[in-house]
Amino acid sequence: MQSVVLKGTKDGYELILKETASVREILVDLKQLLEGLGEESEKGKDQLHLNVQMGNRLMSEDDKNDIIKLVDDYDNLVIDNFLSNVITREESAKIMSENNVEVMSRVIRNGQEVNVDGDVLFFGKIHEGGKLIATGNVFNMGVIEGIVQAGCPDDESKLIIGNLHTAQQVRVGEQYDIVADRPIEDSEKTVVYVNDLHVLSYGKIKNLKEINPKFFNRIGGIE
Amino acid sequence: MGKAIVITSGKGGVGKTTSSANIGIALAMMGKRVCLIDLDIGLRNLDVVMGLDNRVMYDIVDVATGRVKLVQAMVKDKRFDDLLYLLPAAQNTDKTALNEEQVKSIVDELKPDFDYVFIDCPAGIEQGFINAVSGADGAIVVTTPEISAVRDADRVIGLLEQHPLQETPKLIINRIRKSLMEDDNYMDVDEITTHLGIDLLGIILDDDKVISTSNNGESIVMNPDNPTAQGYRNVARRLEGETVPLMKIDVQKESAWDKFKHLFKRN
Ligand SMILES: Nc1ncnc2c1ncn2[C@@H]1O[C@H](COP(=O)(O)OP(=O)(O)O)[C@@H](O)[C@H]1O
Ligand SMILES: [Mg+2]
Repeated sequence: MQSVVLKGTKDGYELILKETASVREILVDLKQLLEGLGEESEKGKDQLHLNVQMGNRLMSEDDKNDIIKLVDDYDNLVIDNFLSNVITREESAKIMSENNVEVMSRVIRNGQEVNVDGDVLFFGKIHEGGKLIATGNVFNMGVIEGIVQAGCPDDESKLIIGNLHTAQQVRVGEQYDIVADRPIEDSEKTVVYVNDLHVLSYGKIKNLKEINPKFFNRIGGIE
Repeated sequence: MGKAIVITSGKGGVGKTTSSANIGIALAMMGKRVCLIDLDIGLRNLDVVMGLDNRVMYDIVDVATGRVKLVQAMVKDKRFDDLLYLLPAAQNTDKTALNEEQVKSIVDELKPDFDYVFIDCPAGIEQGFINAVSGADGAIVVTTPEISAVRDADRVIGLLEQHPLQETPKLIINRIRKSLMEDDNYMDVDEITTHLGIDLLGIILDDDKVISTSNNGESIVMNPDNPTAQGYRNVARRLEGETVPLMKIDVQKESAWDKFKHLFKRN
């Protein structure tokens, strides 16, 4: 049986690799398949976009590059993506943590930087000079006297919610404010966000729907 | 087997060396065997504060590099029989002349012979700090009520928590002046202790006699009636596991006394 099959899908073409075939077999069969295909497709000048479907396996970058190299010989063939039904443990952990809210109640001291993948619900205390940096949102129920960032490094769709008036700096994505220069109200209902003009802005929880409809829907609205 | 305690602060000039000398002497006065290791290559060294500077022959770098044996470099404080020793810092080399393994092996060699080994840490959080911490079982963090000193103490406590010693760090608040507590740049004892979140080992009042005595190679702690000396003796007793009420009470007592004196003057 062939280790590589070309199939048309609704999104274009897919090269389906047989899971049990070795990479060497695949390369041999792919070369053969491309040679046959080449003659047909060279006539029409249209570029043919391909996805490579790896099935229930992952391939090393080297193996993928070998496949890309083979296909590159044909000017009108382009590989868009390598698809797979499976992901690495590392990736799955990352996806899990990105969708998780990490609950944290520690002290972050001067000079310490704590990084969180995903959202964080913070009950602890950040001392002056301490940093809490999340890729997701930050929900603060603790005391922040240091620096807090949501959406690290550059995701402006994230929010910081909670009382922030004692912070040194608040940052969302790449936007930041020095709180001493632009005081924040003493309120647990503060929402820090980046507006459409890429400016760091302050709102209230009751206006979340206007501030960030996507987030508002994710949490299912507000009473 | 004795205990090695590093005396550290982050910020310089807050009283690490003064505390090392006075706590060491207080414990020697209680009959404990104490060795002080000077790891600070600064201007006012522990040997000067102890009045031992003209007895220094070799230093810790000589020991670490194998030029002399440990006992040859140790300076005995004759005031306390065979109880108090100093291992001096090198004067001519910089802090990178030592590494962690060397310091740790010296501390480990001293511990069986002493009840306490105190390590006087240099300011900063670089190699000198890492060396000083490497052989320690516990740490005393010294701060003054100044906000900048408390910030640095916070930084150091964070580092100590990241690489925990056997015992959690303890706090000494030094140079407390009642009159400054209302000043915005200074925090009071309770504020500092709750902020830093570590056990308070003692508070030490500010007293000009600390400077004048140490300039003469004497130590305030030997003064029987002085409240600052009492503060250091209380620290020593707490290290020995005694329950001693906090000096805070002494401060309040003092202020009551001050009020009394005021009344007296007015009349
Ligand atoms: N409780 C105190 N009252 C008055 N002066 C003090 C007190 N503690 C320390 N000092 C003085 O402060 C200065 C710095 O103290 P030192 O112990 O050398 O600090 P460090 O070792 O942390 O650099 C010295 O002149 C010392 O005499
Ligand atoms: Mg010193």
